[in-house]
This record gives sequence, C-alpha cells and structure tokens, in this order.
Amino acid sequence: MTGARRLAARVEPMAWARLALFAAVFMVFTGLYPRFASANNIFTIFEGFAWLGLGALAVGITIIAGELDLSVGSVAAVSGIIAVSLVEGVGLVPAVLASTLAGLVFGAAQGYLVHRLKVHSLVLTLGSLIALRGLAFMISGENTVAMENLDIAFAVRTQLGIFSPFSLATILVFALVGFFLVYTRFGREIFAVGGGRNEAAAAGVPLVRPLVLTFALSGSIAALAGAMTSIKSGSAGPAAFETLLLPAATAALIGGVSLLGGKGSVAGIAVGALTLRCISSGLSLGGLPFYVLTLATGVVLIAVVVLELLVGRPEVRNRLRRWRTRRQMRAGAQT
Amino acid sequence: MTGADAVRPGGDRTRSVLVALAVVAALAVLGVIGWITTPEFITYRNILNIIRAAALIGIIAVTMTLITISGSFFSLSVSQTAAMSAIAFAAFLGWGWPVWTALLAVILLASLVGMFQGGAVALGGNPIVVTLAVGAVLFGSVAWLTDNRTVRTGTYAAEWIGTSRPAGIPSQTWAFAAIALVTAVVLTRTRFGREVTLVGANRLAATTVGIHPGRIALYVFWASSLGAALAGIFTAAQFSQGRLDHFEGMDIDAIAAILVGGTAISGGEGSALRTAVGAVFIAALQNLMVLRGFSYGVRVFFVGLAILVSVSVYTLFRNRRRLA
Repeated sequence: MTGARRLAARVEPMAWARLALFAAVFMVFTGLYPRFASANNIFTIFEGFAWLGLGALAVGITIIAGELDLSVGSVAAVSGIIAVSLVEGVGLVPAVLASTLAGLVFGAAQGYLVHRLKVHSLVLTLGSLIALRGLAFMISGENTVAMENLDIAFAVRTQLGIFSPFSLATILVFALVGFFLVYTRFGREIFAVGGGRNEAAAAGVPLVRPLVLTFALSGSIAALAGAMTSIKSGSAGPAAFETLLLPAATAALIGGVSLLGGKGSVAGIAVGALTLRCISSGLSLGGLPFYVLTLATGVVLIAVVVLELLVGRPEVRNRLRRWRTRRQMRAGAQT
Repeated sequence: MTGADAVRPGGDRTRSVLVALAVVAALAVLGVIGWITTPEFITYRNILNIIRAAALIGIIAVTMTLITISGSFFSLSVSQTAAMSAIAFAAFLGWGWPVWTALLAVILLASLVGMFQGGAVALGGNPIVVTLAVGAVLFGSVAWLTDNRTVRTGTYAAEWIGTSRPAGIPSQTWAFAAIALVTAVVLTRTRFGREVTLVGANRLAATTVGIHPGRIALYVFWASSLGAALAGIFTAAQFSQGRLDHFEGMDIDAIAAILVGGTAISGGEGSALRTAVGAVFIAALQNLMVLRGFSYGVRVFFVGLAILVSVSVYTLFRNRRRLA
C-alpha cells in the first residue's frame, strides 16, 4: 500500500492530468456510443495507435532533444514503398528490417548534418520532407504500389483479442525505446542536450553522438511505422502519410513532451497517442467527416500549447511545486 | 551572426552583397539553361506566366520573410490563411456585399488569425507548432462551414482585382513589386525594421535596450497573415471562386523562396528583395520543369533539393566567415 502510494507520489501532477484527460475522453465517447468500448472498437483504436504512436515517438524524441524532425511523414512514405516492393520477394521480417534500416541510415545522416552544419534541424528536415516526398513519387512511378498476395497483410493485422501483431510490435518498440532513453547513458544524453545544450557540452557530452542517435531513432521509427502500415494495408501510395506530422506532434505534446526540450517520457507519448486515437475513433463513430478530426486535432494542439505556456509561468509552477512537495512529505510520513 | 554587424539592416554589407549576387546568379543560370534547352521558356508569353505565378508565391514569401528575420522561423499556416481568405471573400461577395466591404471584412478576419498566432508566439509558443495547429483549425473549420465545396462569388464585380493588367502587367505582379519594395524599405530604413532585425539577431540585447520581442512577434505574424490574405483575395477575384485546395504547396514554395533568397534561418539577417528574387527563381524553376514535361514527383524533388542546397551552401558560407 505504502509502496503504491510512494509510486503515486512520484508521478507528476501533469501526468495525472494527462491520464484524467484520457479517461474523460474514453468515458464521454463510451457514454455517447455504446459501441465505443467494445472489443472490436478498442482493437481498431490500437491499430490506429500502432502507426500514430510510432509517428509520435519519432517526433517526440526529436523534441526531447531540443530539435524538431518535420520529415517523418515523407520518411514513412518512402519506407512504405520500399517495404511493399520487397515484401513478396524476401518475406515480412527482412522487408521491414531493410526499410527500417534505410530510415536509420537516412536519419543518422540528417543528425550528422544538423551537427556539422549547425543549421536548425527544422530547416534541414523541411528540405528532406519535400525531397523525400519527391523521391516517393519517383520510385513508385507516381502510382500506388500494391502487393499481389495479401497473405502477409492479413497476417500482420490478425486480431488477437484487442491487439494485432502490428500493435504488439509497436508496444514492444515503445518498451525498448523507453528502456533505452531512461536506463542507458546514450539515452540520457539525448535528454541532456535537449534540456541545456551548452550545459551538456560543458559536462563533457559529445554533442554529435546524441544528435545522430536522436535522428537515427526518429528516422528508423518513422520508417518502421511506414513499412508496417503499408504492408498491413497491402499497398503504399506516394502521397501517403502527408498529414502524419500534425497528429504525431499533437500526440507527443499531449503526452507531456515539452517544446522547450529535455522533458518527456515514452509512457506519456503512448498515453497522448491513445487519447488522440480515442478522439478520432469517437468522431468517426459519430459519422463526422475527416476534416472535423483535423479541426479537433488543431484545437487540442492549441490547447496543449497554451496550457504548457500557462504551467510554465513562474507563479503557477511554484504553486505546483509546493503541492507536490506536500504530497511527497505526506507519503513519506506514512512510511 | 550575432555581434555588432548583424544589427545593421541586412547584416554585414559585403556578405549581403555576395548573397544577393549568388541569388541573382542562380536565377541567371536557370534562365540560360532554360533558354538553351527549351525554346518556349524565354518568350514574352511565358515570362508573363512566370511573373504571375511568382507574384502569389512572392507576396506570401516576402511578408513571411519578416517572421524569419525576427527569429521565428516560418509560418506553416499561410496556405490555409490564403484559402480561408479566398473562400471568405467569395462568400461575402456571394451574399451581395459591396466589394470594399468584403475586402475589409477579409482583411479583418486575416488580422485576427495573424494576431492570434503572433500573440501565442509572443507568450513563448513555438512558432512552428502554433502555426501548424492554427493551419489545422482553419482548414478544418472552413471545410466544415463550406461542406468542403467550392464557393462561387456569383458576380463579376471583383474580377478586375484579379484580371486587370495596368500597363500590360498583371495586377498581382504590381502588388508583388509594391509589397517587396515597401517591405524592403520598412526593413532597412525604419525603426520597426531595425527592431525586427535586432530581435532576430540577439533577443537578449533587444530586450536589454527596451524592445519587447513579443510586440515584434505580434506584428510580423500579422503582416504574414495579411500577405496570405492578399494572395487569397487575388485568386478568388481572378477565378470568381474560393477553393480550399487552391493553395496546396504554396507554403512550401514560399519557404523555398525565402531560403533560396539566403535569409538566415536563425534570424537577424535577410532581405525582402532577395526573397522576391527567390520567388521568381522558384516560379521559373517550376515553370521550366513543367515545360520539360517533368512529372510531379521529380518537380517536388528538385524544389526540395533547391532548399537543401541553398541552406547548406549559405550555412557553410556563414560558418566559415564566423570562424575567420
């Protein structure tokens, strides 16, 4: 009991707010549409979570490092085309690995260039966002690339309770990346360069390693999302994932990744992506067209940004800190 | 990039001249390549096509240059702001409003959008995320209000705005030239322009000498929204209709124009006239590629390449000078 209580006291107040938001969204839609909480619909939510979560993880890691990778959508599109073209020849795992590796190499190169040129990642990745989109059109011959045999596609989306192999793989990736970020030196360095680059450099962190790692991670995770999603649907279009950036960034920010850098968690990003997928699922159950989802995502994103600005103000921050200290003292007193 | 010379409008004089020469040289090389390879490229008709296309990109890009120089990178909501303005203008005319009332109402609407973004950035919001969100809200709400359909003006009262040709040159091009000149003069010759440059070059120094960076953010995002609104009004007037997808890709072209024009991404240095040349470059490049029958993917690829190359070259050039 006390262990649980101490654990609870360690969770930040904003994390509780995020969980409360998720619970509220879930409950409202369950109340509105009884179908919402059915096993089939939760399966659908997790299917959406699989690609959105990976997208949010890719963008989120770069925000944690104090950068911003705008190219995730185009990386996913190129990777999807590669994966779908390869999968029937070499099989599922090699195809996914090959396209993920392509994303990893491309991302690492991007990270190195960001470091070497000292150019803001925003601009470099904007260039690659456009160039890779062009590449996607070129290598696909401006047409959707489709698989002839859909057995592999069906295998990837087999329903196992509320999960599929795809969403289980996503959860595994979340766990691995979370472990890497929190428990390894390399992962910690990403937080360090995001929180204060000069301080990190002064403390002896070589800046090139965390930057290359950050973009290698975001490139490979985005590529994985593109490969898995495309194989799942049996086809890859050159214009796919064009709007991935908006929901991915929104999910990461709902998940508590701070735009100031150095702050955020993989668990938070997962909660953020799930929340956004629940909103999306609820809106489509209500029969609303896609642009209402865009509107809702934009409104949520503005709300999150404004909330972060308010919470960042000194007077609010002090009050939160006092409240947390009191809770920790109370939890400590009972042990 | 920080330091005394960056505070001077346009930054170090020789550096500024070199970058301007590079932009003009790039345009000249493109022109010669087009002239040799494609006979229909350098004709009166086609040049008219290019400068008309350059006008819309240019109006958006030149006004967005203020955002970049002030250190707030870019706006990702300009194409949605332009589309909203076009649709609102068409709708107001369709309701039988007089042209001037409709114009005023659209400008007011765009001002609200711009001020909101400027305000959020002034409070410390990340400009990319704020404009990404506002763009989504604009797209979603306009699509919802219009059922995602084309809105017709149902009148020819405003057609002159988009189709007239004083002295044989399209009205859009006149507006583009006027806006580029006014923005250049404001940037280099007025107190406000110097404040924008200083905030981008060295935010701390600007605050120390009593400039409020938030106030600057408010104004530059306002200016950018007005530029986008103008592009929307021109288009709605020209085609007597407003469509949501009319400006797709326009934000990318505008950003490409700014980057080809050599404005420093980190702020504090840049030029409205160089952006204007950059807009003509992008428009000419797109035009040439269409004439050569390049497919969509190849065209997109080359615009992206133009961005990557110009950013890398200018950045290496700046880094070298800083080290020297």
